[in-house]
Amino acid sequence: MANVTLDTVDKFYGKHQAVHGISLDIADQEFVVLVGPSGCGKSTTLRMIAGLEDISGGTISIGDRVVNDLPPRERNISMVFQNYALYPHMTVGENLGFSLKIAKMPDAEIASAVNEAAQILGLDELIDRKPAELSGGQRQRVAMGRAIVRHPEVFLFDEPLSNLDAKLRTQMRVEIKKLHKKVASTIIYVTHDQVEAMTLADRIVLMRDGHIVQVGTPLELFNKPVDVFVATFIGSPPMNILDGVVRGDQIQLTDDLAIKIPSDARGLVQDGQAIKFGFRADNLTPKGHGVSDEGEIATIDLEVSLAEPLGTETLLFAEIGGVEVQAKMLNPRSVKPGETLSFQLMLDKCHIFDADTGAAIRG
Amino acid sequence: MTRRRLPEWFLLLLPAIIVIAAVVLIPLIFSFYSSFTPYKLTRPSTLWKWVGTYNYEKILSDVKFWAAFGRTILFLTIALNLELMLGLGIALLVNKVTWGQRGIRTMLMFPMMFSPILVGFQFKFIFNDNIGLVNNIIQSVGFADVALPWLVDGKLAMFSILFAEIWMSTSVFAILILAGLFAIPRDPLEAAKVDGCTPWQSFRHITLPFLMPFIFIAMTIRSLDVARAYDIVQIMTGGGPARRTELLWTLMSRTGYVDARMGLANAMGYVSILLSILFTIYFFHKLSAARAELGMTG
Amino acid sequence: MDLTLSHRNRKRGLKALHFTALFLVMSVICIPGLWIVLNSFRPTIEIMAKPPIWSPSFTLDHYRAMFGGAGEGGVPVFKYFRNSMIISITSTAIAMLIGMSGGYAFARYRFKGKNGYFVGLMLFRAVPGVALSLPLFIVFARVGIIDTHFGLILAYVAMNVPFTVWLTDGFFRQIPKELHEAAEIDGCTRWQAFWRVEFPVARSGVASAAIFAFLTSWNEFALASQLTRSVNSKTMPVGLLDFTAEFTINWGGMCALAVLMIIPALVLTFLVQKHLIAGLTFGGVKG
Repeated sequence: MANVTLDTVDKFYGKHQAVHGISLDIADQEFVVLVGPSGCGKSTTLRMIAGLEDISGGTISIGDRVVNDLPPRERNISMVFQNYALYPHMTVGENLGFSLKIAKMPDAEIASAVNEAAQILGLDELIDRKPAELSGGQRQRVAMGRAIVRHPEVFLFDEPLSNLDAKLRTQMRVEIKKLHKKVASTIIYVTHDQVEAMTLADRIVLMRDGHIVQVGTPLELFNKPVDVFVATFIGSPPMNILDGVVRGDQIQLTDDLAIKIPSDARGLVQDGQAIKFGFRADNLTPKGHGVSDEGEIATIDLEVSLAEPLGTETLLFAEIGGVEVQAKMLNPRSVKPGETLSFQLMLDKCHIFDADTGAAIRG
Repeated sequence: MTRRRLPEWFLLLLPAIIVIAAVVLIPLIFSFYSSFTPYKLTRPSTLWKWVGTYNYEKILSDVKFWAAFGRTILFLTIALNLELMLGLGIALLVNKVTWGQRGIRTMLMFPMMFSPILVGFQFKFIFNDNIGLVNNIIQSVGFADVALPWLVDGKLAMFSILFAEIWMSTSVFAILILAGLFAIPRDPLEAAKVDGCTPWQSFRHITLPFLMPFIFIAMTIRSLDVARAYDIVQIMTGGGPARRTELLWTLMSRTGYVDARMGLANAMGYVSILLSILFTIYFFHKLSAARAELGMTG
Repeated sequence: MDLTLSHRNRKRGLKALHFTALFLVMSVICIPGLWIVLNSFRPTIEIMAKPPIWSPSFTLDHYRAMFGGAGEGGVPVFKYFRNSMIISITSTAIAMLIGMSGGYAFARYRFKGKNGYFVGLMLFRAVPGVALSLPLFIVFARVGIIDTHFGLILAYVAMNVPFTVWLTDGFFRQIPKELHEAAEIDGCTRWQAFWRVEFPVARSGVASAAIFAFLTSWNEFALASQLTRSVNSKTMPVGLLDFTAEFTINWGGMCALAVLMIIPALVLTFLVQKHLIAGLTFGGVKG
């Protein structure tokens, strides 16, 4: 059993606090992704779990053991680094077998373990090459092979795909997902890319400024963001956010644009309250080019400033009260800049946030 | 666990600190003390007599000392500047070579492997007025009838010493600047060409600024052992003729070992140490400034 | 048409100029050394001949005398060679261990006043050998290690440590720190991670730092001339002086000894020249 538990973990660099008392339970065999903008403390957290950074406060346990004072080698973990950290003076085979050699395993066993790992990752042909002779994708594979060869209880991934080009990244994403099925270990994965987080994670841990902002499944974070930050970080394009004030049963967005408050949110806001109003591009569609016409809908006429055709859909840019918003057009036809279209806003998919704290009032 | 453990970095540095303290620092402290005594090797008891700043006053009012001091500064200024210019020139020449560059680069390192004392002997031999290569050639070709007194005439001796010093040390500059030339990224140079820079302009505004850190590394490395010139001068002229090539270091060693006046020699030693340290700090400073300018810190 | 022609002529002229300049420079660099080698094979009478003899004859007399022990002047070259080897190799090995540990500290640890420590260390290297030789002579005489291998080894270790620190710091810094982190996660202790991963990766750089230290000891004169007295500990640079008598110099013998001094230095430098340059520039530029 290799569940990982963080209990009010702190990290200080001198006076600067990088991680603020975070607590997290990760179940055995779970795939958890730590995601957030750079400097949010996600890598630091991962490195504390690995034992590469001291823990300033709180406890980290792997399985039933508190590992705070254990060196990395005694934590039964393995790690894939951003720049792979392959040993340049060893062949692929020696790289894969290094940890077993250090553990003084007999040569025959090392050889079979290395072969097994090489087979899983399709490295058989490359076993005698040096890292310098490999392509980026192959190096990535060797780094993963080095991690799985030991059958550790926990895998740590530190932005493993950020040095690959876009196409390879998509491909490796699939492989990592498959690998997780195959090795059935706990995986903690750090990335700044929300797409990776959404596609890979069983659960996402979204961090900012050393705090955990929200923990949940990808869909929970997408559909029920706890605040404006989560709403704008998760999903592409980011959620449109407008300032507004509650006036009776309406939200005044600009001087001449007011929108009905969704019926189930009426009790949650007070007259005169300043709020932030959020909706995704998917839920603002030109009439006749959306998913459905049912539910609560507001109609807004907007002048399109720019159209980005993507094939199956077209992204439309417009302005509401000086703020740029994005809309989606399904079954697209060609749209010229300057054209005014009648848009439908699906009110029951909208989000309302507190204007001061950014916390969700209606998630 | 009440005692705090020393940090690892300190433990790793400790051997270096200990050995340097034992072999350099302690003798230096001792010599600092003895520079306030009239210590003579031949009379050990003089070590315990305190004379205050007498030695320093004496050397500071000594014309011979100031002559040697001034000559040393002049010597270093000429040598370092010429070495830099020649090194830069050689590096640019070699950089343009398209065939056999590796071989030339290896040959360039030739003088670096020579012991300074060997360089001294070598040029003492070559500049020998009677059987030296230089005079033999001059006389055979017929430029001059009489042998030129390379190491006996004051001016010529200074020239010979400078020649030896520059021969030995130019390659440090040439090689480091060449390494810098190899490391220059192509893009800015090509951009400059497209923008219509003349070769001189792109050298002046792109190549040279990029080379500055490499030049300062060479300067720093050189400044660490400017006193190597002592070996050369000691062998070639011994400071003579009639003190015409006397440098701070030869004067000090004569005062200490020949005249056995250790206190006085140590006082001079301190002046020379100060000189070396000033050189080193100056170039270190320049080096980090140049690095910062090119964003190479880290 | 005229324009292209004059351009081509100019280009050709520049090429000739470039070649001539390069040839001159390389001659000045190479001829003094070659002259020494040449003269080590010429009989003394010919070296001393006036007017000069330009067609050299060949003899091994100087080498025979040198290795024969008591030939011309009876300079015990073998002993000097042995002393030089023992002292240079031992002091290099010790300086490398100490210097690597210091260089590693600078490359891998963050601590207050790091730059200060570094420059401070370098300043000790800047102390002129002559200035140091005076007090070192007195201190060593007190301790009783004048004219011993040990004394000179100690002095050379101290002399080489700062520069070794500089070079190895640069080499270790080139190695991403993830490499030892990966090794630690793979089950190494920090000590194992160093010797099994970082040291092998940096080995060519470390070798060139060692060569540099070796050459410094091998060539050093100012300290050696004061701290050695007899054949017990005299090194070759000091031994070179044995060929100078009161008024005469045995040029041929001296040239032969010079060749003997140069050969090991030459071989070693050839072996590591590439890394040597890389080490010097990296340590300095990215430091």
